Amino acid sequence: MLKTTVVVIGGGATGVGILRDLSMRGIKAILVERDDLGYWTSSRFHGLLHSGGRYAVKDKEAAKECIQENTILRRIGHHCVEATESIFVRTPEDSEEFEQEWVKSCKECGISAIPLPMDKAFELEPNLSHKILSAYRCPGAAIDGFRLLWQTVASADKYGGKTMTYTEVTGIETVNGTVSGVKIRDKWTGREDKIACDFVISAAGSFAGQVAHMAGLTVNVKPSKGTLIAFNHRICNRVIHRLHKSSDADIFVPHGSITILGTSSIDSAPDDTSTETAEVTAMMEIGKLTFEHIYDYRILRVFAGTRPLYSADPNAKGRSASRGFVALDHAHDGIKHFMSVCGGKFTTYRLMAEKVCDMVCEQLGVNEKCHTADENLVEDPSPELMGRAKAVFPSYGAELAASRLGNRKLEHVIERIESKPEMRELVCECENVTLAEIEEIAAEPTSHTVSDLRRRTRLGMGTCQGTFCAYRSVGAVDKEEMPWAKDTVYLFKEFLETRWKGIRPVLWGNMLRDIELTRAIYDAALNLSGVEEIK
Amino acid sequence: MAINKQHAIDPDKCTACTICITACPVTAATRKFRGPKMTGPALTRLRKLVSDDDPMLDYCSNCKTCDLVCPSGVPISTLNMMAKNEYYKTHPRKSKADDMLAHSEKMGKLITALPLGSTFANLGVSIGKAFNMMGAMGITKDAKMPSYASESFISKFKKIKQTSYPRKVVFFSGCYINYNQPEVGVDLVKVYQKNKIEVAIDENFVCCGSPMVSGGYIDDARVNAAKNTAILKAWVDKGYDIVTACTSCGLMLKQEYQELFDFAGMSEYAAHMYDSIEYLAKLNDEGSFNTDFTPINKKYIYHAPCHLKVQAIGRPSMELLPLIPGIKIEEADAGCCGISGSYGFKADKHEIAMKVGSKLFARIKDSGADLGVSECGTCRLQMENGSGVEAIHPLTVLRRAYGL
Amino acid sequence: MKKSDVLIIGNGISGLFAACIAADRGKKVQILSYGAGTLTIGGGIIDVLGYTDEGRPVTDPVQAMGQVNPTHPYAKVGSDTAKKALNTFLKITNEEGFPYIGSPNKNKWIPTAIGNFKPSCLVPRTMDSDVVFKTSNILVIGFDTMKDFYANMVTKNLKKRLDSDKSIKEFTVTLNFEYGKDLRDISAMDVARWLETEQGHVSFVEQVKPHIKKDTVIILPPVLGLDPNYKVLDSLEKDLSCSLVEVSSLPPAVTGTRLTKMLNSYAKKRGVQVIEKAHVVGAKVVNGKCKSVITEGFDRQREFYADQFILATGGIYGGGIIAKIGALTEPIFNIAIDVPKVQTEWSHKQLFADKKQIFAQYGVSVDENLIPLTAEGKQVASNVKVVGRSLAGYDFCYEKSGNGVALITAYKAAAAFCGEA
Repeated sequence: MLKTTVVVIGGGATGVGILRDLSMRGIKAILVERDDLGYWTSSRFHGLLHSGGRYAVKDKEAAKECIQENTILRRIGHHCVEATESIFVRTPEDSEEFEQEWVKSCKECGISAIPLPMDKAFELEPNLSHKILSAYRCPGAAIDGFRLLWQTVASADKYGGKTMTYTEVTGIETVNGTVSGVKIRDKWTGREDKIACDFVISAAGSFAGQVAHMAGLTVNVKPSKGTLIAFNHRICNRVIHRLHKSSDADIFVPHGSITILGTSSIDSAPDDTSTETAEVTAMMEIGKLTFEHIYDYRILRVFAGTRPLYSADPNAKGRSASRGFVALDHAHDGIKHFMSVCGGKFTTYRLMAEKVCDMVCEQLGVNEKCHTADENLVEDPSPELMGRAKAVFPSYGAELAASRLGNRKLEHVIERIESKPEMRELVCECENVTLAEIEEIAAEPTSHTVSDLRRRTRLGMGTCQGTFCAYRSVGAVDKEEMPWAKDTVYLFKEFLETRWKGIRPVLWGNMLRDIELTRAIYDAALNLSGVEEIK
Repeated sequence: MAINKQHAIDPDKCTACTICITACPVTAATRKFRGPKMTGPALTRLRKLVSDDDPMLDYCSNCKTCDLVCPSGVPISTLNMMAKNEYYKTHPRKSKADDMLAHSEKMGKLITALPLGSTFANLGVSIGKAFNMMGAMGITKDAKMPSYASESFISKFKKIKQTSYPRKVVFFSGCYINYNQPEVGVDLVKVYQKNKIEVAIDENFVCCGSPMVSGGYIDDARVNAAKNTAILKAWVDKGYDIVTACTSCGLMLKQEYQELFDFAGMSEYAAHMYDSIEYLAKLNDEGSFNTDFTPINKKYIYHAPCHLKVQAIGRPSMELLPLIPGIKIEEADAGCCGISGSYGFKADKHEIAMKVGSKLFARIKDSGADLGVSECGTCRLQMENGSGVEAIHPLTVLRRAYGL
Repeated sequence: MKKSDVLIIGNGISGLFAACIAADRGKKVQILSYGAGTLTIGGGIIDVLGYTDEGRPVTDPVQAMGQVNPTHPYAKVGSDTAKKALNTFLKITNEEGFPYIGSPNKNKWIPTAIGNFKPSCLVPRTMDSDVVFKTSNILVIGFDTMKDFYANMVTKNLKKRLDSDKSIKEFTVTLNFEYGKDLRDISAMDVARWLETEQGHVSFVEQVKPHIKKDTVIILPPVLGLDPNYKVLDSLEKDLSCSLVEVSSLPPAVTGTRLTKMLNSYAKKRGVQVIEKAHVVGAKVVNGKCKSVITEGFDRQREFYADQFILATGGIYGGGIIAKIGALTEPIFNIAIDVPKVQTEWSHKQLFADKKQIFAQYGVSVDENLIPLTAEGKQVASNVKVVGRSLAGYDFCYEKSGNGVALITAYKAAAAFCGEA
């Protein structure tokens, strides 16, 4: 049995934010996540660091929080943030009155919105629809969900915060109406265990209702599914928003080497991450107003996540439910030291954690203040280390690896290549991921599948969507004899079928051509499904 | 930079299939080159994101074999050239040779304008070699360098008396013919006259820009493209067809301009552009090609330049030359010769170029041919350099067969 | 352009083989090619029919053709022609000095780069796998620093698939290639080039020899030379006194390159003209007959005339069929292919399903003479035949029938155009 002070349930942005905050205040905490970190909602979004502009008219409070946290995250999490800035554009379909109100609101909220002459806008973003009437520059940015989560956890780790992935909570135990611990089960081994604790915080997002249910309580979360489209290239250099009342498919985020368009909003089950072709085409039709040649851009894949919208009113739907967050102290429902945190935005994950932890600290009688805005998530690689990195990484590899890995792991990876130069082999040629990096991440106890490596490294997230790196990565982990890499056929299928899920709804053009190639390799040439014993 | 769909440059079509890697002659010759797929469409995605060094980029010779084999129509080599252009805006050049070889027209103009200029220039090359000054410039001392003619083609052309015919072409001679091998231009005029075609030239043409693009000087090429486009369009408007006798000039004018630049009139004149032999093959198809040949009892081996293959015109020389009585001609079919315009003249590329061409050299030697034939001037030089067998333009073969 | 007797669009395996067949019979043949044909990245082996629709392994592929679905290309050909086609292929490989082995009536099990086996029919001698099952010691050879082959994975999985009394060991050959930041990764092609050199040969033999017992077979990645001949194989087998077997692997595949070179060489010797980079965008059909096809480039459209046309454009992957949202079209003759409007109905939920994948079977419908049919069942043009991957009705991945369908339909089309029934 493990022992700690606080158990945090859920390895999304909210959960890791709370873990780091508690750890930095000196409170012992363990985070348990049923899947991999960021498996659910915290990676299934645009990768947008809001400037607040999107909320300026509707919800000034949220807008102010966004711009405040935006500024903080650019600093403490700068390896996760690509400071692109954003442009709000008004198409002929959008009202001029809204534009005026928006300009006024941005000013009130302290969000810089600088008018951009259209000729300049087209120069900066040549693919924008030439029907667009006006444009404003705002301080939005792109942010990498996976990376932010892992780096937040890495920061918590330095202060003793522990993270357990693939660990499912199977029960919440109470003694005399106060939480005493949680029952857990290892997803891979099936081994059951218990963590004794004084406090449980459920940060299970769309699954908050299910977690609360284990303690016999009801939490009203309305999951709302949003579909996102990832394009093969950067269609734009900056985040592009439509300047209108927030709606579907009105945000384009250049995210690393790709662009993400989001999103839609449909009531859904918490674990529904499926996408129908109709959702994609509906979004493309709207997106066409921003980028007129949208149908010419190659789609890499589509994916979906559920927003954990909380509503006290069980009949509230979709966007009308609050985007602010709610911390429910279940003492009111009869269980002490059990709290559910619902809703919220990725951009304000740190602030939410601060507010929640303030409440928790008060109950635990801890006086320590929040320090999460004072310290960077990971240390910057020194110029010396970057020099060493550039000397060993393939072209365009050093900077990418540095932001993916952070200081400490980057050094490990460099050491691997320095001692064995062939470790610089590119396992993923689309996203420039080296063998050394794969081996480094594969050796971590949190890695159990090739998809886990993908979330950490961007392996298989580029043009070929795993067609070539599946063989290389499975071969590499097999070679290192990772305990989890026993069944190669399972590893291949887990990775490739996950990629397939995102391609299936958009199976036309080059996406279909690519899948033909994938099948030609894994089915025709390698006979992946062929299990005959040949005697 | 984000991708811009206004041009024909579309890396999105790449499926990462690796066909280009299997075909790339430079990839086969050296591991210093990452290969077309990686350098082109794959890294194009990342170049927008981060700044970094990319020394491998320099090894693409722009031979365009990758474009030829790509089943998806990705302009891989052009993506490489664009990246090279951007790269050298922020990175130092490896040698002074880059600038000189990319702007060979400057040199040509200078030398042919001087009295006895070519004699001194050709002498200069040998002296340069002897004192290893070429090496200091970044130019190989091992390759046979193009020598300069004592009289430019333009000057020679003016002395040719032509019969006027209704069928008229304007001949874009290009730098190599104008300054280095003017006789090929004369061959063209004679052969065309024999086929009742009147040839015009235009002294305002400037270098097509092909060596500039390959050397990573696209901005300079743009200036030339603007000039040439306007002139070519004007000739086409007057009812002329355009012919080139250098396959790199031809490719540049009709295809690469459209991939790289956006000037009005490019697609209009491109519809009237022909390779000089392709144009005659067209006459042959129409039944109006003059086959009044005297027999040539020689053996030839024909090498198709990479920049011809990629033009989708087949092998017009292999359609026409076999019509000459007595001739024995076969296609080498041994891949790239390695020179790629000026690539093989660079000191750090010469060995690669020779390795690329080694299959062709062996093929020429084994064939026992009396002469090599190829449309491309630097291919011919490389064939001679590698095999010791003299190589000539197919127009020259035709002129000889006509007894002119 | 002069008119040809037979004009072939596409120079993959089906286009090249059709060209060889027609040129052999004295026809003037032209190939219009756009890209090198996916044969280059394929495995270079001739799968004919590996599994039945129910997923049972096939022993005799020609015989099993009798049981295929009536919409399957094999159902339009018949086993006699199929056998002739495959035997003609064997004959061509013989004449080119790169003889393939195997019989149209018997499948072989070929080891793969993950250590599985796949059924195939005709293979080059470098992949003659029969010996694997007869020999008691298997030595899986990898190369340190070479990309895309993992001897450990092959060894581990071979142990699962083969008799447990066999000794299956792995050995890694040291390449001693330079490795550094400014040098690219090492591919199977680099190793193949190395093995073609004297130094590579000697080094390989020296390193491997001590691990060869009396009864040993070597399994290795496809690295036994780049050209269509057995020089590397023969010299290694001689110096090591054991058999070597290349695995079926992933692109860039040396094996596919060899087959491409061989077929090109055969076709060119017979006067087949190949026009590269010719993007065919349309056709002129007059009174039910195709007159010409039209190519388009940066300059202008060109028209190519012929008496007979063979469409060998390689299906969806080859660009011979274009997939759009809710629509699938053959772009040259503008044949609409009937598909569901909803994209998710084009496929099963699992990519690697235990049945044929739906989209894989999409293609151009043809009559028993391989003449393309419109959605209404009318002939598109009576002098056009469709061969290879653009044909509807089969899933080459599931069945393991890709190159077989290509060769057999190409043979039937070309022979028919030359007046053979």
